[in-house]
Order: sequence, then structure tokens, then C-alpha cells
Amino acid sequence: MLPTPYVKCDYSKVYEPSEDSFLLLDALEEDKQYLQQKFQNQLAVVCELGPGSGIVTTFLMQNEIPIKNSLYFAVDINPWALETTLDTAKRNSCEKYFMDPVRSSLCSSFRNNEIDLLVFNPPYVPAEEVPLIPKSKEYIDEWLDLALLGGKDGMDVTQIVLDNLNQTLSTKGIAYILFCARNKPEEVVKLMKKKYNWDSKLIVHRKAGWEVLSVYRFYKDI
Amino acid sequence: MKFLTTNFLKCSVRTCDTSNDSFPLQYDGSKCELVQDESIELNPEFLLNILDRVDWDAVLSVAADLGNTTLPPNKPVFSSTSVDELNEDEQAVLRDLHVLLVQTNIVEGEMKCKNCGHIYYIKNSIPNLLLPPHLA
Ligand SMILES: [Zn+2]
Repeated sequence: MLPTPYVKCDYSKVYEPSEDSFLLLDALEEDKQYLQQKFQNQLAVVCELGPGSGIVTTFLMQNEIPIKNSLYFAVDINPWALETTLDTAKRNSCEKYFMDPVRSSLCSSFRNNEIDLLVFNPPYVPAEEVPLIPKSKEYIDEWLDLALLGGKDGMDVTQIVLDNLNQTLSTKGIAYILFCARNKPEEVVKLMKKKYNWDSKLIVHRKAGWEVLSVYRFYKDI
Repeated sequence: MKFLTTNFLKCSVRTCDTSNDSFPLQYDGSKCELVQDESIELNPEFLLNILDRVDWDAVLSVAADLGNTTLPPNKPVFSSTSVDELNEDEQAVLRDLHVLLVQTNIVEGEMKCKNCGHIYYIKNSIPNLLLPPHLA
């Protein structure tokens, strides 16, 4: 098993690493060899959406996933998450890796077709709607809601990312996205193939409480 | 944020995507505060991989915004892809590029889209490219 980052932060402000976060780590560990082969001898541009505590990005750095020569970007709307991600990276002695947090709505501020590896633990909990962005950094509870609630079927935010994969990812690009059963992932991946020709593979799944979580890899074999 | 990150960030306004002016952003040299951070050591192979990938014109443009006009007009080419076979001049070029691209941090600053004019800010080293609701 690969080492897991040490995380210590204020969970009233950022999402506390939970079953879903750890499942995502397991998926990336499972695919470590695959990713290494895919990106060897080149630069890999990695982008994590919604890093929260920073556990996933830090895990990627400390285990040199996908490859040693990677640039890491941690993208969140929550300003607390960005500061915490920097802090978590430091606590785990990852300053020697290239990582920058960027405050942005999903990938809208990234040049098209430049991201090689996208990782996303989305707000996947079904809710009436996706909350609006809090008006102040100090409205702490509202930022946490934003990390959880995903609108209808819990898919509102994930669907935006999926619909933009062709613009976001490089020609070799790969995405790892977490779903809960109520997101109906089997239907989602079928539609991704049909609409955009993205292949997908279920990498890991696990029962967490009364929720079944899964991580899919989206890729194109070229 | 590190200088190299400027090579990946564009204006967030969706309608600017069709314009060549939404990348790179234009950095306001008089308002950008730069700090050298040496925590990432020079790794020549990493740097060669980076150079392979970067948009050199964008590097030139941002460097000029920040007052550095000493870069060569064309992306440097190296005699070998194997680090050990590079000559001393080439090693020196890599060292300089490492200082610029990886070790130079913009800790405070502002930048604007050359297409729509929207201004973005960098605070405590973190760039904020979130749009106000009426533009999002
Ligand atoms: Zn613009």
C-alpha cells in the first residue's frame, strides 16, 4: 500500500477526508502502473478539481503519480480549500514538487486541451439545487455545502465537467471521477461513449454506509 | 503562483475562448510582486520536458510584462535530449530557465484579459480566476 498523506486541518472550513476521498486514492494507486506507462518520458499536467483538504493532490505528489515530472494544479472555488491544500502539501514535505492552487470555477480558466490527468471527487449528493457561491469567505458553512450538494441526481456539477472533457483534456488525457450509486454512473458512462466517444472503466467501488461509491476512469485509446 | 503557471491560465469568460487574446493574460508589472522560491531543485530532465510543452511566445509575453526582455526570441533547442550530453552553455540556459519558470513566484499581482479587459488578482500567491456572477 502506498503512503497516505498526514492531514490536519479545520474541518469546519474544508471537506474532511472521508470514504470517498480514500476510494479515490485507492483508484489512483490501482492505476499507478498504467499511468506511469501512459506518460513516461514526458511532462504530465495534473489538475485536481475540488481538492478540499488537499489529500488527493498531496498523495499524487508524494507517490509521484502519474510520473515524477508532473505539474500539479489544485482548483477550487473555496478559498479555504486552496490554503489548506498548500498547508497539507507542506506538512507532507511536498514543497519539492511543482504545485499551484488556482481559484477557479472548474477548468474554465485553463487553456483548452492542456490537462493530461484530471481528478475529481465532485459534490455528488442529490439535492434540489447546487448552492450559490457564498458571498464572503467567512460564511464557512456555505462553503462546505458547495463541496457536497450536486443538484438533481447529484450530477449537475459532474455533468459540466463531463460535457467539457473534450476541451479540457489533452489528446492523451485521462480523468478519474467519483460517483455514488444515485448518480446512476452506469448510465452516465454509456452516454459518455455515445455522445463524446469516451471509453470508461470502473476502477474501484465500495459500500460506504448505505451509499455505494465508485471511481471510473475516462480515457480514449489512440 | 509560479511563473510557469501563467502558461496554462486563460481568461475564464467563455466567450473569450474564441479569441487569441484571452491567452496569455497580461500581467501588470507595476503591481506584481515577485519572490524567488528555491524549494524546487533544478532537474534538467524535468525542465527539458517542460520546454517541450510550453508556449514560448506566451513565456516571452509574460516575461516582458514583468520586465524581463532578455529571453531569446525562439524557444531554445538543445543538442541532445539526454541531459548528460548537454554542453556547458546549454546547462546554463537550463539553469536560467529553471530560475524563471519554476523558482519565480508571483505572490501579489494583477492581470487582465487582452480580449475582454477583465482584471484578475493574485493574493498570497494564489491566482483568483473566479468570475463575478454576472460574467459566469
Ligand atoms: Zn476575457
